[in-house]
Amino acid sequence: MATEYVKLVDVTKCDGCRACMVACKNWNDLPAEPQDFLGTMQSHANVSADTWNVLTFVEHENSKGGLDYLFRHSSCYHCVDAACEKVCPESAISYTDFGSVVIDHDKCVGCGYCEQNCPFDVISLKEYKDKNGKEYRKANKCTMCTDRLEEGLQPACVTTCHPGAMQFGEKEEMLQKAEKRVSEIKERYPNATIYNPAGVGGTHTIYVLAEKPSVYGMPENPKVPTSAVLWKDYAQPIGKAMVGGVTMALVGAFVANKFFDKKGKEHEEDGGDRHE
Amino acid sequence: MTNHWSDIQHSDCALIMGANPAENHPISFRWLTKAQEKGGKIVSVDPRFTRTSAKADVYAQLRSGTDIAFMGGMIKYALDNELYHKDYVVNYTNASFILKDTYEFNDGIFSGYDEPTRKYDKTQWAFETDEEGNPVKDMTLKHPRSVFQMMKNHYSRYDADTVCSVTGTPKEDFLKVCEAFCATGAPDKAGTILYAMGTTQHTVGTQNVRAFGMIQLLLGNMGLPGGGLNAMRGESNVQGSTDFGLLYNNLTGYLGAPTMLHPTLEAYNEKETPSAGYWSNKPKFLVSLLKAWYGPNATKDNEFGYQYLPKGNKNYSHINLFSAMYKGELEGAFLFGTNPVVGGPNAGKEKEALGNLKWLVAADLWETESASFWQKEAGSNPSAISTEVFLLPAASSYEKEGSVSNSSRWMQYRWQAIKPKGQSLADLEIIHEMYLHLKDLYKNEKTPAAKPFNALDWNFGKGNHPDIDLVCKEINGYDLTTGKLVPGFGALKDDGTTTSGNWIYSGFYPEEGNNRAKSRDNKDTGGGNYLNWSFAWPANRRILYNRAAADLNGKPWSKKTAIIWWDASQKKWVGNDVPDFVVDRAPTDPGGTNPYTMLKDGVAGLFAGNLNDGPFPEHYEPFESPVANAFSSQDSNPAIQLFDGEFNLKGDYKQFPIVATTYRVSEHWQSGSMTRNQEWLSELVGHMFVEISEELAKEKGIKNKDKVIVSSARGEIEAYAMVTKRFKPYTIQGQKVHHIGMPWHFGYKGFATGDTANRLTPHIGDANTTIPEYKAFLCNVRRAN
Repeated sequence: MATEYVKLVDVTKCDGCRACMVACKNWNDLPAEPQDFLGTMQSHANVSADTWNVLTFVEHENSKGGLDYLFRHSSCYHCVDAACEKVCPESAISYTDFGSVVIDHDKCVGCGYCEQNCPFDVISLKEYKDKNGKEYRKANKCTMCTDRLEEGLQPACVTTCHPGAMQFGEKEEMLQKAEKRVSEIKERYPNATIYNPAGVGGTHTIYVLAEKPSVYGMPENPKVPTSAVLWKDYAQPIGKAMVGGVTMALVGAFVANKFFDKKGKEHEEDGGDRHE
Repeated sequence: MTNHWSDIQHSDCALIMGANPAENHPISFRWLTKAQEKGGKIVSVDPRFTRTSAKADVYAQLRSGTDIAFMGGMIKYALDNELYHKDYVVNYTNASFILKDTYEFNDGIFSGYDEPTRKYDKTQWAFETDEEGNPVKDMTLKHPRSVFQMMKNHYSRYDADTVCSVTGTPKEDFLKVCEAFCATGAPDKAGTILYAMGTTQHTVGTQNVRAFGMIQLLLGNMGLPGGGLNAMRGESNVQGSTDFGLLYNNLTGYLGAPTMLHPTLEAYNEKETPSAGYWSNKPKFLVSLLKAWYGPNATKDNEFGYQYLPKGNKNYSHINLFSAMYKGELEGAFLFGTNPVVGGPNAGKEKEALGNLKWLVAADLWETESASFWQKEAGSNPSAISTEVFLLPAASSYEKEGSVSNSSRWMQYRWQAIKPKGQSLADLEIIHEMYLHLKDLYKNEKTPAAKPFNALDWNFGKGNHPDIDLVCKEINGYDLTTGKLVPGFGALKDDGTTTSGNWIYSGFYPEEGNNRAKSRDNKDTGGGNYLNWSFAWPANRRILYNRAAADLNGKPWSKKTAIIWWDASQKKWVGNDVPDFVVDRAPTDPGGTNPYTMLKDGVAGLFAGNLNDGPFPEHYEPFESPVANAFSSQDSNPAIQLFDGEFNLKGDYKQFPIVATTYRVSEHWQSGSMTRNQEWLSELVGHMFVEISEELAKEKGIKNKDKVIVSSARGEIEAYAMVTKRFKPYTIQGQKVHHIGMPWHFGYKGFATGDTANRLTPHIGDANTTIPEYKAFLCNVRRAN
């Protein structure tokens, strides 16, 4: 593999200005999604098909009895071992040389397995209509601005980040910076940590956090679902060998319903789409 | 700012008070973060735990409107613990000056007060002088009537317990702030104070800034890199607008506007020109300005056209204009990029006042709430309003060429990126076209109104499009004897042979060079001052009073805080900035140790006898307050102009027991007319909200996200409740006081709409500037339905 790159997000330098959110929409030409009032400064509850990064705001009473107001740029983690890539029956999701995980809309059939299996909840389906009024769906998420990387530019969010809370660079260098930073801020934030979870093989968006991941609403130990591993590494190759790639989506639909549909049931119980 | 944005990185401690730069001046955090990485501390003092507080090393809450109590306490702390920079205080301030017996202070009132007019006779606040008129000094600072001792005595009442009972700050936090900031009194440390409208928008706003100035002088922080007193301006070009005389009481370059007290140019010069200090050149600046405006029509025989200037006898500030408008005393108004129906104090009444105009012209990017004040959606009855409204579409900053001046006093040129949409025009073109039309209408008239208009020397090229380069050159100024551009304000004369549209910018466009506002060399010329990036007024100087960063002998107080110093071999001041001093005046020369060259005495004023409300800042409660003043029997500032009657109802704390303040969010700009029409910003903050503490929410039965009604004596608004840990109840003089806050950006137009916070705020202003007291007033909150 070529040199591995990561986006390092040092949330302890973030001042919550949300320029990253606007820069993302600007570069990627994403429409606004007006929301109901959420009761905090946070604008959107989660990332969505049209809002690829969200600045989260958490009021946290820390172990010293003081108040922390914690900000975090949240978007796709670009896992080294990406569940979305594993479960995609059409191989529409792939890794780039930069380490980013991208979706090929020409191949995506909108089956939604990626959305259901992402351990971080950062992929979403969007409804489109073709010129005949026919509805179809495609998965969307942060691309790490791979189109910019290919032109030698940095991701739009990184470029716009004025306090330097985000950097994009070679993985080893970024990890060293992260370790140095954590040691610098330990006195103020005793729970400071690097977030680069091993359960997904590490990520290409690595965080310096002031608090435990759960304080930010992040999974402490995210894992690629076993079902996804089974599917990608065992069932799919065998299946493709037996029936050919073209019909794999049909087989996939059957298998996937058995394997992956844990979230679909929750949706029914909620009676709604979690992205609204 | 005395210093500049990138200079903040050199600070050992940044006291951020009356400001929330993480949210409202985000780019400052690029430099504050660097300062912090180098071991500097950030201190945030704010009624609410803000995003700035979140990034700070020390946070202390204080009740809105109690900054002077807090800073008075810090002054006492610095004096009691001898943390002040003694050499600096003795030599570079008026601490050693002896005050005349006429100066007194008693129970909240300074000597010379006249109750019926609510004005002071400031001549009573004077120094003892010798036969030659020089101040009498005691360099030991021990004389009981020395400024130093009088100051010490004044703030002896500001002990930590009294201060904290007024501000509601936990004493431990107050002391932590004092300790952190007063540590910069060491000669090798520099502390900066960053402030904004949380400081100024009070009935004691000017004195709030004065209190900051005093502590910075005591700690020897003025003139040093990483130090200074730094106003973060709230608009991209508000620095430029005040520089260019947009305030009612200023011509350009902070030359005071003439009033009835100045019937002739001679009278103006006599009254307004100090005998010493750089302002003694004021007549040169004024005559050069008159020559720029009236050209050949300004001659020695006609006082250089001085009589063309209006000479009012009133306070023409925003509050007074709207008060007059409400009474039907104004016929028409121009609103250029301003939206008082959202942004004005007691905005509901200001909206009614607009209905008393015959005509209103609004120049803006969108139809604002003010341009459409007469509409049903604005809560008005269109059939009852006869005001004729004209809407002129204005071009945005990307659609035009010109300069903006930022907080650092940097005049930065911008180029047009796209052509204006539709029929919109740049403000300059609107004004230019208006001039051309009016010239035509006035040309055969001899009326008093036509006279000054016909005298204007308006030479910005032919046709409807003014040549902006000629405007720039007029600002810089010409030598009329040679026809060449002047090299700087030092060349200006009072005999009518020079021009300059704004003396403080003179030198930005010299004969030999280009327009220096266009300079874009980002190479650090030393100390992070980037002298070849843009042009900083005055004279491209980046840090004002930088002579004060060196000791009496011209040697830097420390290596770390060095900026300019005396080079004996070259016989001049050298260093990383343009010296704020006569460049070859040796420390041993007369005046060689007087760094405050603008001021008559050459030293800075711990005691300042020129403000309307006293020479030392004194705590007064806001116009509306939940408590009586603990420091004196004067509840509110005795020198403010009172507005009463139905136009400005005053709330009582029994009916409105909650302290409220207003503020801005990152995503919206001022009255929101630009940002609420922008979808990506509107989705980020799409709703009017009010932040309330968990404790208050519980008392009132309010849940997060509930709709609530906020009421004041002036009106009621609806908003969403944002229940937060970042507001906490205060204990003020033993009683529990709740505090809330809300953004003031909202109106009914655009994508993000909501009720207007300023329908709650009072129509009352500061004793010196008349800036409205938006930041502290009384209200109540209840659940809607």
